[in-house]
Amino acid sequence: MATAAEVLKQTAPAAAESAAVVVRQVQLDGQVVLKIMQHCDGALPNIVTGQLLGLDVGALLEVTDCFPFPGGDDDTLDEQAGANYQIEMMRCLREVNVDNNTVGWYQSSSFGSYQTTEMIETFVSYHESIRKCVCLVYDPQRSARGQLALKAVRLKDAFITHFKEQKLTGKDLREAGISWRDVFVEVPVRIHNSSLAQALVADLDPAPRITAPDLERLDLGGAAYLTKTISGLIEGADDVLAEAQKISVYHRNLARQQQHMAQWLAKRRQENAARRAAGEEALPEEDPAAFKPIPEPPMLEQYLVVNQLAAGCERATAACQAGMSKLYVMQALQKGGAQA
Amino acid sequence: MPQSALLPLLGLNVRVQVHPVVLLSICDAYIRRNDKQERVIGTLLGTVTDGLVSVQRCYVVPHNESADQVAVDIVHHKTMLELHQKVAPQQTIVGWYSTTSSNVCSDALIQEFYAKEPTSSSGPIHLVVDTSLGGDRVDVRAYASRGLSLGDKALATEFVELPCNVLVGEAERVGLNLLVSGDHERGKPLADSEGLPESIARLQQLLATAQRYVEDVVAGRAKADPAIGRHLADTLADIPRLEPSDFERLFNEGIQDQLLVSYFANLVRSQVALAERLGTAALPLV
Repeated sequence: MATAAEVLKQTAPAAAESAAVVVRQVQLDGQVVLKIMQHCDGALPNIVTGQLLGLDVGALLEVTDCFPFPGGDDDTLDEQAGANYQIEMMRCLREVNVDNNTVGWYQSSSFGSYQTTEMIETFVSYHESIRKCVCLVYDPQRSARGQLALKAVRLKDAFITHFKEQKLTGKDLREAGISWRDVFVEVPVRIHNSSLAQALVADLDPAPRITAPDLERLDLGGAAYLTKTISGLIEGADDVLAEAQKISVYHRNLARQQQHMAQWLAKRRQENAARRAAGEEALPEEDPAAFKPIPEPPMLEQYLVVNQLAAGCERATAACQAGMSKLYVMQALQKGGAQA
Repeated sequence: MPQSALLPLLGLNVRVQVHPVVLLSICDAYIRRNDKQERVIGTLLGTVTDGLVSVQRCYVVPHNESADQVAVDIVHHKTMLELHQKVAPQQTIVGWYSTTSSNVCSDALIQEFYAKEPTSSSGPIHLVVDTSLGGDRVDVRAYASRGLSLGDKALATEFVELPCNVLVGEAERVGLNLLVSGDHERGKPLADSEGLPESIARLQQLLATAQRYVEDVVAGRAKADPAIGRHLADTLADIPRLEPSDFERLFNEGIQDQLLVSYFANLVRSQVALAERLGTAALPLV
């Protein structure tokens, strides 16, 4: 029974020679956007994922179709069943002339925090078969507030090579010059529609009524959102602090261990000198069993946590700017009303 | 003497609501069809509650049709149904769609096929999306079928049009606004910063409409509707009257809150950057 990885390898685009070009822009079809929104909104509060299909054309990645993965909360769905689902779905879609190339996957996130180890592992496993893949992250809560929160993310190639070779110690990463900013790269997204779909959507243009997103945007009481954002920041700061503490503890332990080893070595040398003086055999100067090497805490966690915190800070700043502009508009209206 | 034709009433209170995803998928499927095919057909999935059929998903089913025969790929249909139900188990088959506006006789056969599927009690809906752009717009119509029989013999199937509207949910409205303003040549970049100006513009439009109505009524150009008048009066009365000093206070507090959060966010960011520099600088090379 072919596994999903093999299927992916078979359907990998023959344009492997364009591997040196990185993805600079992602173009989404309108129906992909709506399908993703439908799937993620319907599955709240679970996190759901799905596959993206399309074409890669040089530096532009076109996503023309997508399908959802089953079993968000159904843990009994095992690997094999998931792979079967994927194979069946791709086969059926091929029969109706849908682009059969996997170009990535999409997932929903809560409040936009998506930087986890699982995501990196998924990226790397996709990278085995397709050189260029992106992940679309969709934030359903922010979309309910009136802005389409869809962004495309990919990993930097340098980081991927390092991850594969498992060279994730602090020394290696510093040598390679990879800081926490170099892990994820956000790729600009644009929406594109066929002419027929444009005609259809133009017919559907909704009437200019005030909608719930408008009410959210015009609402001046942003206190609840601010509180949530701040508690998110606090959690992020706690995580970063915990990671930093782990690193400092590790270094303290390492220093202490070095000290012990030095002392022990000095003692051994003294003993050996005494023994040689007494004419006995010298004991070996190395005793590996006494001092086990202390494992270094993984730098990857730290990078991811810092990434999340930085993203949270950016979101908070953006929300504050929006809030302040609203308040200033209100003030201007009030002043204008008072003068009139 | 011919017996009276029996026209079984087919739940004539059925209304159809279509999600825009379905329409865009149908357009996409039509564009991707094989060269020899004139139209595409597919299955509609959705839910039925109380006479309201909500069509939420769809998938294409390959088929071949000639003058008097039609062959539908049933295996494909069943496989896709299973796959879709794994993701959304509460959706059932509510009907089928096709993309031309002429009801050829094969439609009746396909309708029968879908009637045999486990659909809702009101029978399968037939959705027609006119992609030939004959009438300068893309028409979406829904039909239900009822059989015309003479006594015991079934004569024909008649397609009765049902009221159909495209449902635009709140979240989808955001997506659709982006799609409408998209330029199909270059595509529109997703802009995050838009929003507030559009909302204010919409609000202004509504206020202008209300104002025009009131002026028309006062000048005698339009008939006064007491219900609307009362509604407007209530809305105006709801606006809180604030003393200037109160407003200043509220405004200052609001600004202070926002500035505080913004300051915190910037502080955390600089802290992180600083810690990174100090942290990596202090690490002894082991």
